[in-house]
Amino acid sequence: MASTYEAAVASGPVIEAEGLGVKFAVNRRRKRSLREMFIHGNKRDPNAEGNEFWPLRDVSFEIAKGDCVGIVGKNGTGKSTLLKMIAGVLLPDEGKVSVHGKVAPLLELRAGFNDNLTGRENVYLVGSLHGMSEKEIDERFDDIVDFAEVKPKFIDTPVRHYSSGMKVRLGFALISQLEHPIMLVDEVLAVGDKAFKRKCYEAIDRMLANERTMVLVSHNEKDLRRFCNRGLYIKGGALALDTDIDSALAAYNEDTKAEIDERKKKDAAKKKRAEAAEKKIEVEEKAADPAPGDAAPEQPKDGNEGKDGGQAA
Amino acid sequence: MASRTLAVWENRKVVGLLVRRDLKVKYQQSVLGYAWTMLEPLALTLVYFFIFGYVLQADRGIPEDAKAQGGYILFLVAGILPWTTFGAILSEAPRAMITHSKLITTMKVPREIFPMATVGTKFVEYLLTWPVLLIFVFALGGRFSWEGMLFWLPLAIVLTFMFGLGVTLFLSAVNVLLRDVERLTRILTRILFYGSAILFPATMVLSSGAPGWAKTLYELNPLMGIFQMHRTVWFAGFEELTPSPLALTSAVVGSILMLVIGYWTFRRLEMSVLKEL
Repeated sequence: MASTYEAAVASGPVIEAEGLGVKFAVNRRRKRSLREMFIHGNKRDPNAEGNEFWPLRDVSFEIAKGDCVGIVGKNGTGKSTLLKMIAGVLLPDEGKVSVHGKVAPLLELRAGFNDNLTGRENVYLVGSLHGMSEKEIDERFDDIVDFAEVKPKFIDTPVRHYSSGMKVRLGFALISQLEHPIMLVDEVLAVGDKAFKRKCYEAIDRMLANERTMVLVSHNEKDLRRFCNRGLYIKGGALALDTDIDSALAAYNEDTKAEIDERKKKDAAKKKRAEAAEKKIEVEEKAADPAPGDAAPEQPKDGNEGKDGGQAA
Repeated sequence: MASRTLAVWENRKVVGLLVRRDLKVKYQQSVLGYAWTMLEPLALTLVYFFIFGYVLQADRGIPEDAKAQGGYILFLVAGILPWTTFGAILSEAPRAMITHSKLITTMKVPREIFPMATVGTKFVEYLLTWPVLLIFVFALGGRFSWEGMLFWLPLAIVLTFMFGLGVTLFLSAVNVLLRDVERLTRILTRILFYGSAILFPATMVLSSGAPGWAKTLYELNPLMGIFQMHRTVWFAGFEELTPSPLALTSAVVGSILMLVIGYWTFRRLEMSVLKEL
């Protein structure tokens, strides 16, 4: 069993990851997973090696109590996957992650809301699902509703009539009331209008003040710099850097810049090629006018020419 | 395994919350609410009584003496009510994980919780059908017997929900990876309905001219034994309406086996399911 359910509080690191790796089968994954189960057991199918994709592999780190760690990296490099593994809602194929303490997951703020229940019922339901007692919710209910800026007359309306902003605000208001020692945050700071965002920041500051641990995935540098004292830079599915947040962001920005330059170069080259091809076509057309050669990959700058060519062909 | 069981036990509150939520949603949205729980099986009973009892005379399989104790109608009601519950389990089982995908991908609880909640909801709904059953029992002169109440009833309920949980664990996991399962289940439910002798005493099949192997196969269906038990509760002592030793054995062994297979499959597929949700 790779993930542990025990919530033993140890004095050591709060989150420990050892050689974490997760794999997705790219092709025919459904068929394969069934076949895996019935025939191959846990052994890997040697023929299917090429169909595997490791969004994340060989990632190890430790996070101490009170740390606020920002995870940076390009889209699709496995940041959210990593967060999910820490949260224990995705099991690693390799390695091990142990988390000591309860986790407040701010991963998907509307999670667990049932559209047919009222705002009040949903607050009680989701709060209890995350381990709050009824009494705790009773005590905080007014705060939650107030924070979420849900008007009192709407709190007893089914959530399906809420705007998406209302739902997210209510979700954040509720989850931010959890007193679990570990918080996982996945770009949820990007919700709501300016005023609400400011409130979110304050709430997170308040939570962090209590020696709580936070792992934050975001693309917003300001957010990251504001909260984090440590940065993990994930590049191509591997942990590239584990330093303070400024260095991690600097490395990320550098790579991004290099990549943009690369793309600019590529674009320029492409443009050049296209221009050359166009010229070539023009030359060919001039040479053999009634039968313009094979269809041009790029539309010739004059639409009429293409039409004529089509008729002639 | 042991720590996992403990983890499930620690999260029993979550099961309770999900069950309560499902019931609340279900009864909140309809005007008649609880009445549907009674109306649906009642309508079915009427239809089946007319077609099978009256037109096709399936009631000839009921022993003469049993007719004073409720006869064919009580036999029908006592079978259809638990079947409605079981059929509902079958129809919701494939979606037990998919409908909770948002929760599963954000909450760290043992994943078995979700199929368990689905079955738990159905169990409560089953208990809610009891008033209907009791009305029929009293109206038709049904008889309470110690054997029925203390032996057949607990056994029937335990086996029904054990089998139901096994099926739900199995289908909910497999359906995430292979959505065809949902449709296949619908067909299977139909077949099982007739294969489990809900509308006629199983003895009618067993004393028919069918070949021996087919009858044995028929008796090996654990559901047939289980649903026979639901009726034996009211007709204890009638040999024709009591599960044969073979049917009894296959019901007990089959339910345990189904639970084991279901749980094993569920755990085996858990990783793939989590990636897929």
